[in-house]
Amino acid sequence: MPRRLSRSSLLSRTSRRHFLQGSAATMAVMGLSNCRRTIGETEPEPADSSTASAEASGALHIYTWADYTDDELAAQFTEATGIDVKIDVYDSNETMLAKMQAGGGANYSLIYPSDYMVTEMIGLDMLAKLDKSRLIGLDKIREKWKSPVYDPENSHSIPYSWGTTGLLYNSEILTTPPTDWNYLWDNSDVLSRKMTLLDDVRETMGAVLSSLGYSYNATDPTELEEAYQKLLDLKPNLASFKSFGWQDELLSGDLLLSMVYSVEGIPVSLENPTFKYVIPESGSSVWTDTMVIPTSAPNVDAAYEWINFNLQPKVSQETVERLFFATPNGEAMTMLSQELLDNKNLFPPEDLLAKCEGIAPVGEANALYDEYWTKVTSA
Amino acid sequence: MKNSGFDRIKAEQKPKKLLALVVNWLQAIFDLIWRWLSNLARPIGLLGPAGIWLLLLMVLPMLLITELSLVPGLKPGQPIAGYGLLNYLRILEPTYLQVLQRSATFATGTTLLCLLLGFPVAYWLALMAPKRWRNLLLVLFILPLWTSSLLRTYAWITLLRSSGVINLVLGALGLPTQSLMNTPWAVYIGMTYSFLPYMVLILYASLERLDLKLLEAAADLGANPQIAFWRVTVPQTLPGIAAGCLLVFVTSLGDFVVPTLLGGPSSMTISRLIYNQFLGVARNWGFGSALSMVLILMVSLAIALLLKYGDRNPEIYS
Repeated sequence: MPRRLSRSSLLSRTSRRHFLQGSAATMAVMGLSNCRRTIGETEPEPADSSTASAEASGALHIYTWADYTDDELAAQFTEATGIDVKIDVYDSNETMLAKMQAGGGANYSLIYPSDYMVTEMIGLDMLAKLDKSRLIGLDKIREKWKSPVYDPENSHSIPYSWGTTGLLYNSEILTTPPTDWNYLWDNSDVLSRKMTLLDDVRETMGAVLSSLGYSYNATDPTELEEAYQKLLDLKPNLASFKSFGWQDELLSGDLLLSMVYSVEGIPVSLENPTFKYVIPESGSSVWTDTMVIPTSAPNVDAAYEWINFNLQPKVSQETVERLFFATPNGEAMTMLSQELLDNKNLFPPEDLLAKCEGIAPVGEANALYDEYWTKVTSA
Repeated sequence: MKNSGFDRIKAEQKPKKLLALVVNWLQAIFDLIWRWLSNLARPIGLLGPAGIWLLLLMVLPMLLITELSLVPGLKPGQPIAGYGLLNYLRILEPTYLQVLQRSATFATGTTLLCLLLGFPVAYWLALMAPKRWRNLLLVLFILPLWTSSLLRTYAWITLLRSSGVINLVLGALGLPTQSLMNTPWAVYIGMTYSFLPYMVLILYASLERLDLKLLEAAADLGANPQIAFWRVTVPQTLPGIAAGCLLVFVTSLGDFVVPTLLGGPSSMTISRLIYNQFLGVARNWGFGSALSMVLILMVSLAIALLLKYGDRNPEIYS
């Protein structure tokens, strides 16, 4: 089962571990602001010494999400190349960025940032430009991911996995199934205080923007204001904004509908056919996680080996069947079981996918999103 | 030659005397320093480790936050462009004042509920429970603290949701069911549950030391039990009450788990706001630091108030 509890996006993450860190928010604040400098002092900078030691040991240090790499994958890689793999995990892009910026990630030769974070890290000059001549199998990547918005021509990143955001609903009670975001407003009497949206400003605001016919990544202040007002209209009928902790209430029937990430929604729908996952017609977000090589990376050769290893359709197919996420590798898809391929939630049809956007950086509008979010959740 | 011999001895003695004098002096000074040091050694030895700990993990980070809070709109990785009070002025906007107010209300309400529920329990444990059961009962009371607060809060979802355990019981008893989940009431319930053991423990420690002779004296002098309770028991345990309230107030002010999991769509609290500023979409570390400073200030204020009034009252009564 895909238990990738935390996902690519921006606000409170779904990982429980991360959540625990947050529970000591005041202390965490101290810790975080502190690590900007102290980690830089205690951990070796990307200087010669650490580079030398990492290269001498020959191990490949990878920094990734919890469920993208398992022991089997690492073992296969070591068997194929003779390179040892050491894996550390993070639970949000922001955590990873903070650590890398503080110089605490000097050992890592490979990281798995999400789409918008790739753009941001390129802007910060943290990612090495990939030498395409050293990569084998790029042609097998599906058209949609050949030149993504977040990193045109995939010059700094190789797409590894993707998923969507959608609605998970109780099909026994909601006999007319939701097909689009506006369902929430149109059926607010039935759904009153029985639905949750994500506690994630970009996803939830994006959904409202999408329901208004605007881009998921709108930056126009008037469009954002309009979305904010529309969300306020819905708010009295919302049970809560939740990225985690909705499962118990949804399964017991106390909630009828929750906005969820596909990695969390699809497993529920597979286990219990009462619950169905749907990607709204007017489009939702599609996220991509990638493999990148930081500029500070030691042992770059091993990093290329790792990327090439994972680009092999056979490896990709086996990983998907074991860890259960959607792959952008076209050839790997042809090798997947029909049952997985027929899962329209996991692999949505092209025309629907075309309407979905990736969460893109919105620059200065970030502050506006945050302000509206604070207003919505505190009013 | 006689003279010369005598002179020679004298001449040798003089520097010797001087040397002895200097040595004596040095010894005295050394002695003084040694005594001073050895007097200090114990405090240094005792306070040093904690002092270094606090300095590294408390004072330095606080200074850092103070610095960051004075940089308007600081994003991680950016150089510090200039200092100003903009971050603090922004907190005065109605939206953020509302968040501060909600946090303070949650914390105050939780503190009062904990005191109301905790005092009778501590009183019974300390004064009325059978002596040999006391320790066991105390352990039972703090047992929940041995599991993760996150887990316990998840458990409250099961209890509070519309078809949850509480409503099942209410329904079976023919009472009207309540929709508590995703409301401020759920937050009060969850937080009171989380912090009640702290209150009970502190009150217990305070009530256990209660001077029973004073209660007897009060009874001898004609006070009925009610008057004796209010004028003898309560004043004597005021420091405990103050300490318990302080601990509950401070911890609930910064609580993150309960409002996030049990609160409704309007449950933004200061700790969630700070989290959003650091790891959320805004990533405005300057504003986040300013908010943290305000939180620290609120907590310090609570401590100052309770230290002042928590200490003075018993003297008046005693």
